[in-house]
Amino acid sequence: MTRDYQGNDMIVADKINKIYPNGCHALKDVSATVHRGEVVVIVGPSGSGKSTFLRALNQLETISSGSITVDGTDMYAKSTDINKLREEVGMVFQNFNLFPHKTALGNVMLAPLKVAKRDAATAETDARDLLKRVGLSDRMDNYPSHLSGGQQQRVAIARALAMKPNIMLFDEPTSALDPEMVGEVLDVMKGLAAEGMTMVVVTHEMGFAREVADRVLFMEDGELLVNETPEAFFDDPENPRLRQFLSMVL
Amino acid sequence: MQTQYKNLGWNALFVLILVALGGLVFLSGKKIDYNWNWQRVVPYIVNNQASAVTAPEDGNIVSNAEGDLALESLAGDVLVDLSEYEDLLVYEGDLIFEGDRLASLEEWRIGPLTEGLIVTIKISLWSLLFAIVLGLIIGLMRISSNPAVKKLSIAYVELIRGTPLLVQIFIVYFFIGTVFDLERFVAGVIALSLFTAAYVAEIVRAGIQSIPKGQMEAARSLGMSYPKAMIYVILPQAFKRTLPPLAGQFINLIKDSSLVSVISITDLTKAGREVVSGSFAPFEVWFTVALLYLLLTSSLSWAIQRLEKRLSASD
Repeated sequence: MTRDYQGNDMIVADKINKIYPNGCHALKDVSATVHRGEVVVIVGPSGSGKSTFLRALNQLETISSGSITVDGTDMYAKSTDINKLREEVGMVFQNFNLFPHKTALGNVMLAPLKVAKRDAATAETDARDLLKRVGLSDRMDNYPSHLSGGQQQRVAIARALAMKPNIMLFDEPTSALDPEMVGEVLDVMKGLAAEGMTMVVVTHEMGFAREVADRVLFMEDGELLVNETPEAFFDDPENPRLRQFLSMVL
Repeated sequence: MQTQYKNLGWNALFVLILVALGGLVFLSGKKIDYNWNWQRVVPYIVNNQASAVTAPEDGNIVSNAEGDLALESLAGDVLVDLSEYEDLLVYEGDLIFEGDRLASLEEWRIGPLTEGLIVTIKISLWSLLFAIVLGLIIGLMRISSNPAVKKLSIAYVELIRGTPLLVQIFIVYFFIGTVFDLERFVAGVIALSLFTAAYVAEIVRAGIQSIPKGQMEAARSLGMSYPKAMIYVILPQAFKRTLPPLAGQFINLIKDSSLVSVISITDLTKAGREVVSGSFAPFEVWFTVALLYLLLTSSLSWAIQRLEKRLSASD
């Protein structure tokens, strides 16, 4: 099924709305398309709905109306197995959310063993390769509590990659890190982007957005206001609200 | 260094207080003019009283080729080979009638108190097993989003926690036991498991809810189904956190098991009551019973502490 999807549109969100039971309207008619191999960065003030939008892309948030097609599969179609679809979509969280009862290696191996049912030897070789790739070959047997924030986030990226996803979602991956550790995580993400991974990144790192992004999205109050190339976004912003936002963060 | 000496003083005080309390107990024992006789308890724990080996049939004592004695029936078959006994009461050529003593045998046998202890251990272990399984199920039902399932578990927990265990034991034994024709032991295990499961369920629920929401989200984002996420991610963490309260609950279970003596299960407590009426040494027997319970509960809490240490590797 989705493994065979050859199309160019990896994520198509069409007029999605999210209304919480308490009446809060978190997403208002948000439509966006992410192409294969593209890096899309979403910025905006806190509470603007950018995290909600990202979490809707793998159904950690259900939407109230609209449609989302991920990797060629309509997420809300009756025949869609959301667990299968989530295997195609890796996610990295602000607070890492590593499994504290597993070592770094155990964290990376868990889903390939229990979900993808790969055999133990393959899963371990893959996991060691991934941890090496994120620069943690000497930390494989450490528990998360014995790793720094930056190391934990890199394990989390390796863990998401272990399922061999076609799309990676990053929910403010550097916001909980000490400043000196931001760089190591961003470097891993840049490496991924260079390899052609389709990525959607919610972040406050404007430098990363300008350098790596193919397109930058600006959200405010649940609305998607700007969808531009980084040059147009940062150097020549037309939207007055974006201008105001940029003047505050830059 | 200094704190070490200070602690030494406090530890000495602790021992002093214990000794003083022990002395008080001893003095009050003297004062009531009670004749303490601890030896009388020993045979009820283990005894090696001689028992007789008796003849199953009429016959003769004969000697075989090696010179060992044996009881031979009138028809000429060897009934009892006496070579394995040391204290023989018969000689070669004796005419033996059914029921006559052939030899006396000294062997260690467990007394009624130890038998009661074994019943208590058995009933506690079975109840523990069922209470864990049932408690886990009820606890998971408690956090379900399905209102029917959730309310069923709440009703169960409220019902069980709101009524005394003693009454539950009577109801299980006299009502459910009669309906399904249950043995006493089974009825006792059911009552104890149902009771303990309600508390285990609450502990399990609190344990699961104490795990940050991000753990479930991370597991689900990797493609795990809800049950898989529970089994591989949430429950192992919750288990570690709930070990201390679970240990307390299991110790309670061992102690609560003494209540099943009301439906005539000869557990440690009932054995104690029976021994008291036979030995006329109530003080010694009850102290011994208490000590045996303490032995059980402290070995359980020691085992759980070991487990906690092993699980703390990831801290």
